[in-house]
Amino acid sequence: MNLEPSRDGNAEEQQATQTLNEALTAQRDDESVVDVDEPTQQLVLFRINGQRFALPGSAVSEILPSDQPIYYVPGLPASTEGVLHLRGNIESVISLNSLLDLPTPEAPSSGMILLVKAAGIRSGVRIETLDDVCDVAQSLLQPPPETLSRSLLPYVTALWQIDERQALALLDPEALFDAYQQGLG
Amino acid sequence: MTPTSRGWVKVAEKHHSQAQALVALVLFQVGPYRAALEASHVLAMTEHPSAARVIDAHSLLYQGDEPPQQPSRWLTLRDTPTASTWQLGVNGEITLQQLPAHSLYPIPTLLQSRRHSPALCGVTFVGQQLVLLLDANKLKLQKP
Repeated sequence: MNLEPSRDGNAEEQQATQTLNEALTAQRDDESVVDVDEPTQQLVLFRINGQRFALPGSAVSEILPSDQPIYYVPGLPASTEGVLHLRGNIESVISLNSLLDLPTPEAPSSGMILLVKAAGIRSGVRIETLDDVCDVAQSLLQPPPETLSRSLLPYVTALWQIDERQALALLDPEALFDAYQQGLG
Repeated sequence: MTPTSRGWVKVAEKHHSQAQALVALVLFQVGPYRAALEASHVLAMTEHPSAARVIDAHSLLYQGDEPPQQPSRWLTLRDTPTASTWQLGVNGEITLQQLPAHSLYPIPTLLQSRRHSPALCGVTFVGQQLVLLLDANKLKLQKP
């Protein structure tokens, strides 16, 4: 058996050692990045009508299951699903579809409900699916482009480009509630 | 007694009195929904309207999203400022019930500006059924 490394093998070993050094250096660099206290924001990620949205985690006090009983209240706009009775409190439940100019689902809503608090108002907001609750670096949240649809622009504070094909709109709960109270949606 | 503990005593007393308090309500049907008025506003109940001013509760509360129903009973309501009376047309079984004050909930803030009728002031539950609470003073101001 020839233990003497060939020139090619030696080259590979040197290359491997260099790569390890690079990897360790890179690891140290990564650690230094982690050590930097980059501001993050907790987001609740969800979908409505298949589109991806988020609300600040600080505004979502509770995520309620889809089987939570909702009591229909007549004499309110179609975007109001009704009220729910939660531990001795009554909370409104609204749908954002109309406000965000999304099609109204044909079947009764069956997704979870986010209990959202903003501007001193608390209300349930019906979502289609809950994707995640996660911390996102502030640097990843970009201002919404002017090309964003006019129906979304008043309610979107930032966009998160998840990958080349998917972006997520961070909604402003205060703007949503304010618009709803003004008679929109 | 410290100010803090004094505060706690006050809160406890308030909760105690709320737990004891009862509110007398007249419950009736408006279309498919159960509704209620504070009993102190209701003077009488008749089968036929007789007052100079009569209003169907259905037309006051809903924006035509429910099929109208002829009233089967008329509640005679007191209009305190003018010392006159008017009548509200309602349906279904009419009952007088005393419900605990703490079980009566104001309409959620977000919905207040979106309700068709400003008389819709709250909700409560009798059993598992939702009951709409109506403010008689605001009902009488509405135009059918």
